[in-house]
Formats: sequence, C-alpha cells, structure tokens
Amino acid sequence: MKKRAVAVLLAGVMTFGLAAAGLTGCGNDSAEGGTENVRLMVWSPQNDQSKDNGEWLQTMCNNFAEEHPEWNITFVYGVADEASAAGQVAQDPEASADVFMFANDTLTTMTDANALAKFGGKYREEIEATNTQEVLDSLIMDGDLYGVPFTTNTWFMYYDKSVFSEEDVKNLDTMLEKGGVSFPFVNSWYLPAFYIGNGCTLFGDGTDESAGVDFGGQNAVDVTNYLIDLEQNENFKIDDLGSGIAGLRDGSINAMFTGSWDANSIKEILGDNMGVTSLPTFTLNGEEHQMKAYAGSKAIGVNPNSKNMEAAIALAVYLGSAESQRAHYEMCGTIPCNTELLADESISSDPVVTAQNDTFNNTSILQPFVSKMNNCWTPVENLGKGIRNGSITHDNAQEQTEGMNEAMNSDGI
Amino acid sequence: MAGQKMHSAKRKRFINNSIVHVILAILAVIWVFPIVWVVLTSFRAEKGSYVSTFLPQSYTLDNYVKLFTDTTILNFPQMFLNTLLIAICSCILSTFYVLAVSYCLSRLRFKLRKPYMNMAMILGLFPGFMSMIAVYFILKAIGLTEGNLIKLALILVYSGGAALSFQIAKGFFDTIPIAVDEAALLDGCTRWQIFTKITLPLSKPIVIYTTLTAFMSPWLDFIFAKVICRANSDQYTIAIGLWKMLEKEYIDNWYTCFAAGAVLISIPIAALFLYMQRYYVDGLSGAVKG
Amino acid sequence: MGIFKKRVNDFPTPYTCTRAIREGGLETKLSMLLMGFGNIVHGQRIKGLLYLALEVIYVVFMVVNGIGFLGMLPSLGSVPQEEVWDEAKQVYMYTKGDQSILILLYGVATVFVTVLMFLAWRGALRSAYKAECLAKEGRHVNNFVEDLKSLLHENLHRLLMTPPVFFIFAFTVLPLIFMICMAFTNYSKIDNHLMLFDWVGLDNFAALFDSSSILGSTFWSVLGWTLVWAFFATFSNYIFGMIISLMINRKGTRAKGFWRFCFVLSCAVPMFVSLLIMRTMLQPEGAINVLLRNLGLIASDASLPFFTDPTWARVTVIIINVWVGVPYTLLQLTGVLQNIPEELYEAAKVDGANAVQIFFKITLPYMLYVTTPYLITTFTGNVNNFNVIYLLSGGDPVTDLASTAGKTDLLVTWLYKLTIDKQYYNIGAVIGILTFVILAIGALITYRNSKSYKEEGGF
Repeated sequence: MKKRAVAVLLAGVMTFGLAAAGLTGCGNDSAEGGTENVRLMVWSPQNDQSKDNGEWLQTMCNNFAEEHPEWNITFVYGVADEASAAGQVAQDPEASADVFMFANDTLTTMTDANALAKFGGKYREEIEATNTQEVLDSLIMDGDLYGVPFTTNTWFMYYDKSVFSEEDVKNLDTMLEKGGVSFPFVNSWYLPAFYIGNGCTLFGDGTDESAGVDFGGQNAVDVTNYLIDLEQNENFKIDDLGSGIAGLRDGSINAMFTGSWDANSIKEILGDNMGVTSLPTFTLNGEEHQMKAYAGSKAIGVNPNSKNMEAAIALAVYLGSAESQRAHYEMCGTIPCNTELLADESISSDPVVTAQNDTFNNTSILQPFVSKMNNCWTPVENLGKGIRNGSITHDNAQEQTEGMNEAMNSDGI
Repeated sequence: MAGQKMHSAKRKRFINNSIVHVILAILAVIWVFPIVWVVLTSFRAEKGSYVSTFLPQSYTLDNYVKLFTDTTILNFPQMFLNTLLIAICSCILSTFYVLAVSYCLSRLRFKLRKPYMNMAMILGLFPGFMSMIAVYFILKAIGLTEGNLIKLALILVYSGGAALSFQIAKGFFDTIPIAVDEAALLDGCTRWQIFTKITLPLSKPIVIYTTLTAFMSPWLDFIFAKVICRANSDQYTIAIGLWKMLEKEYIDNWYTCFAAGAVLISIPIAALFLYMQRYYVDGLSGAVKG
Repeated sequence: MGIFKKRVNDFPTPYTCTRAIREGGLETKLSMLLMGFGNIVHGQRIKGLLYLALEVIYVVFMVVNGIGFLGMLPSLGSVPQEEVWDEAKQVYMYTKGDQSILILLYGVATVFVTVLMFLAWRGALRSAYKAECLAKEGRHVNNFVEDLKSLLHENLHRLLMTPPVFFIFAFTVLPLIFMICMAFTNYSKIDNHLMLFDWVGLDNFAALFDSSSILGSTFWSVLGWTLVWAFFATFSNYIFGMIISLMINRKGTRAKGFWRFCFVLSCAVPMFVSLLIMRTMLQPEGAINVLLRNLGLIASDASLPFFTDPTWARVTVIIINVWVGVPYTLLQLTGVLQNIPEELYEAAKVDGANAVQIFFKITLPYMLYVTTPYLITTFTGNVNNFNVIYLLSGGDPVTDLASTAGKTDLLVTWLYKLTIDKQYYNIGAVIGILTFVILAIGALITYRNSKSYKEEGGF
C-alpha cells in the first residue's frame, strides 16, 4: 500500500499548493515614513530594454519613481512585444504585468479576458489633451478609453529615389512601369488596402459589429481582377518572409511597403536615395483610387488585476507622456504620436515620421478592433495566396470574392 | 565454361556494387546538402533571409561573434546555459523513470502492470499540446511559473511524461535471460540489487539510447517552453531564441545568426550522436525481438 | 470487441476490502473511520500514523478548499468582473470575477484527489485487516523498517513506479481529463465565453457532425488527408529507410561507416531548425528555386509551387518528411534487419530470386511481422505529427476561402489553429477527442492482430 500512500500524500501536497495559490495575495505593507511599498511588473518589447537603446524602459521607470516619493517602487521587467502581449496577458491576467504595451488591434482579445483596465478622470483628460481624436478613437470602445497611445501603427511606402521621381510615386501603376515594386500580397494586414480603396467597408465605420463586412459586390470583384493582373505584372514581386528587403538589397526591387520598424535596414541599403511617402493610388478601370492602409496605434495598458491600481495607471500615463515619447524616439526610433511633439521641428523633419503621419491622417482607415474582426484575417490572406498560386483567376474571381466576403462574415463553424 | 560463369558473376557483382555506390552517393548528397547550406549560410556576410545567389558571395565569422556579443536583444549564451541545465536535469530524471518503469514491467509481476501498459498506450494517442494551458495552470498552482523556478517547471514537464515511452527499453530488458536474475536471487540478492548491479550494467546500449533521446527534447521544444516562460526572457531556452530570430522584427538582421545558432547547437548533439550511434543501433535491435 | 472481457485476477489475496468490512474485527472496522487505527493497534505505529496524517490532510484540504472547489463545478462560476470608480484616486478599481477555467481545473483536481484518497482508504483498510489476520494467526506483523526494506525487494515496483506514475498523473492525465471536459462547454471566443463559460452537453459534437456546416465539411476533408498523410508518411519512411539500410549493410558496399554518417548527420540538426530552413529554401524566392534558376532548369522568373499548389504541397511535405525521418528509421531498423535469419535469404537465392523479389517476398513480410508495434506507434505519431506540417507548410495552401483549414492541415494542426489562433477551445477539444477515438480503434484492431500482442498475451 506504500505506493498508493505516497502517491496520495504527494497529490495532497500538490493540491495544497493549488489551495495556497488561490489564497495568496501580495499585501501592500506600508513602510515607515508614509511611503507605500509598491511592486510593479512592466512588460515591453526587448528593444525598449536593450542596452544598445539606452534602456529606455528602465530609465523612464526610474524617473517615474523619483517623481513619486510617496511610493517605494520595485520594478520587475519582462519581455513581450506589442503584438504578442495580448496573448500572453490573456493566457493568465492574474500573473501578468501591471503595465504592458499592446497593439490596439488586440484590444478585444484582452477585454474579453478581463485583462485591460479603463482610464478615467484626470488621467483620461491628460491623455485626451495631448492626442488627436483619431489616435484616441483607436483605443476607445463603447466610450471607454483603454490605453495610453505612444505611437501610431501603420505601413507606408519606401522607394529608391534614383528610380522613381516624386511624381511617379503617386500612382502604383506608373511605378510598375519604371521599376520593381514589392508588396506583402499574402499578408492580410496589407492586402485589404486595395479593397478599402474601392469602397469596401468593414463594420460600417469600423465600430459597428452588426453592420458586418462588405467585401463583396462588383467593386470588390473589380479589385480582385485588378490584383490578378497585378500579380502577373513582371515588375511586381510578392514580399513574403523578408524577400522584399532582400530584393531591395540586391537591386531587383526598388519600392516596398512596410512600417517604421524596417526604416533602419532600408536606410542602410538605400542611403540617401531612400524615399518615404504615404500610399500611392492605383488605376482601376481608368479611374484612380487611393490605397488605404489599416491604421492603429500602440498603447500602454494596465492590468485590472494590479494590486496597485493607482501607481500602475500613473506609470502608464507617464510612459506615454511627451517626455517619455521624446526619449522613446531618440533612443529607439519609436515615432511619437503626442501632438506637441509632432509640432516640434526636430521630429517633424524626419521623413519617416512625416510619411507615417501622412498615412495615418490621409491614406488609411481606422483598423476595426471589434471581436468579429478576428474572422477577417485568414480569408483575405487565403485570397492573396490563391491568386499567387493561380487557383484564383479572372474566370472565378466573382465566385471567390463572394466566398471571401462570406468567410469574413462567418465564425467558420 | 565454369571460369566464364565465374567471370560473369564477378562482373555482375561489380556492376551491382557500382550501381549501389552511385545511388548511395546521390542520396548522401541530397541528405547532406541542406546541412551544408545551413553551415554556409552561417558564414554568409550578406544579411537577410533571402539572397539571389545560392552560395554566399563573401564569408565572415561575424554571425557567430554576434551571437555571443550582441546579447541585449537575444541573449544567446544565457539561453544556451538554460537549455543545457534543463537538458541535463531532465535527462537524468527521464532516464531514471524510463529504466525503472521498464525494468518493473519487464521483470516484476504486479497487479497494476497490465493496466499501466494499457494506460500508457491510450495516453500516447492524444495530441499532447492540447493540454498545455492546463499544464501551465498546474505549474502555476504549485508556484513554479516565476523566476528561476521556471527552469524546474520545464524540467518537470520534459521528464514528466517520459515513463510513458517504455516500450523500447522494456523490449531490451526482455532479451536479458531471466536465468541471470534467478541465479542472483538464489545468492540472496534483493531485486533492487539485481536492478542496479546486474541488469543496468548489462544494458549499456539502452541506457545510452534513453539518455540520448531524453537529452535532446529540451533543445527542440518551443511550444511548451513558450507557454511556460511567457515574458521571462532570462529563462528562455534555445528553441524560443531561434524561433524569435525568425520573427518579423528580427528576421532580416538575425537570419544568418539563426543559421549560426543552429550550427552551434547541432555540434554537441552531432558529436554525441556519432559517438553513441553504435549503442543506438544495438539498443534498438535488442528491443525489437527478431 | 471483447477487449473489455472480465479480467482474470492473477494476483489473488485473502485481504480484500469487502472481507475487511464484513469479517474484520472492531479495530479494522474503526479503520474505516480513522484510517490507520488497525495498524496502530497491531504495532505498525508509523504506518498507521502516516495513514492517519493523510486522512487529516485530506479532511483539512476538503474543508478549507475542496468542498468549495467541488461546489463551483456544476455552475463553473457566474460572477463577472466588476468595476468601481474611485473618485479620490481617479482610477477604476476592479473586483475579481470568477474564472471558469480555473474553477474547472481545480474542480477536476479535487475530484482527482478524492479518487486517490478513496484508493488510499481502501489500502488502509486492507492493510489493517491484514495486520489483524496476521496477528490473530500469531504470524509476524511487519514493522516499519521491514516495510521499508520490502520496498527494495518484493515491493520494488512500488518504489520504482511511484514517482514516474505520480508525474504522469500530474502532467498528463489530469490535464487530459481537463481537456476532455472542455469539449462539453462553450469555452470559446464566440459570444465571448473566455472568462465565464457553462456546460453545454454534446452541442459541440453535434456541430462537428453536422456536415452542412463549414466545420463539419472541413472536418471530414481534413480527416481524409490526415489518414492519407499518416499512411504515406509512415510507409515511405519505413520502406525507404529499409532499402537504404540494406544498401549500406550489404556485403559489397564499402565505407559503411561513412555512408551511415552522411545520413545520420541530419539527425543532429534539431528538427524544427531543419524544417524551418527547408521552408525558407522552398519558398518561391527561396534557395532551391534560385538554384534551379541559376542552373537554367526553370525560367528566370519562374518558381516551382512547392507550397502553393495543393498537390505539390502534399507531395512536398511527404518527401520532406522522408528527408527528416529516414535517418531515424535507418538507426532503428538496421539492427532488426540484421536479425533476419540468413537461411531465409539463402533459400530464396537458391530459387533464383533477384534483389527486388527478395525484398518484397522475404524482407518486407518478415519486417512487417516483427515490427507491427513499431509501425503502429509511428502511424499514430504521424497522425499527430504537428511539427512537420506546422513548420513546413503551415497547412497551406487554402483553396476553400471559407474554411479554417488548408490542404495540408492535419487534424492536429487544424486543432492548433482553432485553439490558439481562433480561441475555439471547445471545438479544439472535440477534435482532439475524435482524433483519439479514431486512433484508438485503428491501433487496437491492428495491435490485437499483431505477433507481439499474442506473445505478450494481454491487453
């Protein structure tokens, strides 16, 4: 019977562990002298914490601690980039960071997991005072504000000035006559730009879940047909898994679409010939249509399970403040979105900043973040792949476009 | 006549031999080719994941240097040490589990023997990673998901299921004559002594085989490691690190380093493998009875 | 199928639980309430106290937490997270809502502990009865030290099996039961049931078997390909590995070690690394296409559709799997091949059979006969072969835009997409269970007809 006895004993001990974990709660023991001991866990991308970039996060957090002598703060740092933070936090909000950075398209992933706190009162006013309404809209759901924006998140065009003139880059089809252009054709963050450009809509103005997706009808079929021709254009290359930047390096490609994160690599390749601009138009059935990117923001969020709500909210607001954004730009190249900073000559003269902001303001739509948006990624990606491998042709474009539209409007169940 | 026949038989054998060698050579090239490509890529001076030429234009050692010096973004040496520690510990534990269970199933007769074997077979049919979220919460409940304890958690996860794949070791133990045990029993040995002093020394091939397979799994798994490590970058294993190098933000800068990292972790495994090859074959041939 | 025929008890013991209850003395009967009491009375003090301690621990646990955990199990929690505006601090404060997934996990764990406790209780009772009987008959009752010593000899299996079995239960069985439970809930992103979910009975199974739904039709097509894949992946490796092994080990071949080295070298590169590298190499702009273009075998802007055409993709993954798997097969089968009795070959040669005939008439049947269990394991391994598909093709290409699965998706990679990407945990669990059922039936039928089953004589 020993074996069983031991097994049960161990199981008992383990279950005690379960029980204990359910009961523990880190109390805020007040230290002497009126300061409160506070432990804050902060997650950010590795980039923001690396020594090469001057440890932006650590620097900012220490500044914050100095500004708030009423708290005796211990910081714990972790690594989670904005795109995957939502998944990590949602997996177990209780054991996640108090303050973290996320991309706004993952907002519902976190609110569904009770993992995102609202900002209100004086903090909300402070955030609203220094950001444009478009940026704020990307973080407001049902009237509540869920994060402190610190940068806009979108993509635009890089090109080789020695190949294209400033006039050329206004229209994609003109460009294709002059040089190689690559586009992330099989990536559903980019491909809808053509559909949206021709009047397709997602969830009405982007927030009305019941309106559904309208990627069907004749205007969508026209775009599909355009894309099929585009894919077959000799000067057009599909950018997938880094092949675009590789082509730029060996000269087979002269323009590509990507975001600010590739700016340094492209600068290295093109040098002074690097041109950056917002999206071009494309010519469909003789008419010019503007490509429209998804635009969102990256923001600092606070965990509702935080034991020190006030300190966490204050830290989030501080990390998104003008002072922090300036440091972020100088240390890591993160483009600010604070309105005061954007008015600053030293920042607005940066072509990448200009391109990103032009795209955000003029050639983009707010990327919807309603829950059902989740269903919209795979079908578009599959359409791109279908065109690439030739299974979608002019003959079945109508039918396939309708299929995509249907899939975007369904749960796939 | 007879001489001619012999001559033609000899010729035929020669032709056969030549054909076999040519086929083997072609196949060997196919098998070695991607590995050569990885090694070449790891020395490639041009950055990026794609190049328009098959062979690198120029060679450099920088990729290896970068792995060990550029530690602020992806701390390769730290990951290497983490993985090594986890691999050694989990390999000791799993080897013990597998050998102990196999020995019991092969040599001892007890009530739960058959039920255990059936259970092992059934559990082997479920897709394992389905349960990883549950595993995470169980580990969290016993407090192993923070700080250095994550290493312990990974060790437990990698060794935890080891005892389910006992078949090969059991097959090997089955081939050791039972008369040896009986003689030892008559001499007054306990079963424990038989296990440690007689059976194990006789089973060198299978011990080595088990150790080797157990040692490798922490280097390969990136699914469980990611779920359990979460944001604790100082606990990352090699597999997560290599995986990260291929993410959008890093791929262009880190692809050649990825190749270099792959080469580096392949070297110890390759050395072990080549050295232990003989035992591997012996262990398995003993296990599947002819 | 007669699998569950009544098991003959090979290990009869006079000290059963029922007899203990029926025929045991007062101290034994008291042991039903106070575990270990009988042992203490009969001099097994430490053993008895251990039992007693166990009971105390269990009772304390149940009172403090266990009953609460069990009580939540039927409803799986219903308290949502609440927010309160704190005017003084200017922040929202949140109360903790229920988290169904934890309630389910703790509930299942409590049930688990209770079952184990029941087994321990039976053990205690039997142990008490045994002590009583031995004492009555005037035979020696083992003291604690003797009990410990027996662990090294007659009870060695308890010593050796307990730790591994404990970890199997903690990290494999418990999560598995938990996962099975999820299949009967509405734990999914749909209608936002990620924090609070409920039992829904068999609804998810119904959705999957409704062949008019997208899910239903996808399931059958994915299942079809999974079986085709598993078949080809298993046998291509098996036969190819054998042929290479035979070629290396035949008498006339020179430099055997060198050839083996060439093939085994690829084992050394971690599988996920070599797969990821293969993936980049086979992309439209990847190394293979570049090489073919440089050699002039394809036009300078053409590329072979390795992962973009359904048929190409399916063939590609199978071939790559051969590349990945053959070295292992080679290592695993070489020894067995050498065990084939020489007489069989001699006889065939006398009959004038050539190499191909010998292979198909002698080697293959012999190997199939001997290695059935190996084949079953490989086959099930291939059905659940997540790495190769996920890392190589990721399930691509997708031809049906409405479907969540691509043409090379296996059940297991599809399941991964549904759970991790789409967060349909319940549907994922259903697919997991069905995969298991299919595998179990297949494996049982084959296994029961195999040689080793008949020899081992039991399942």
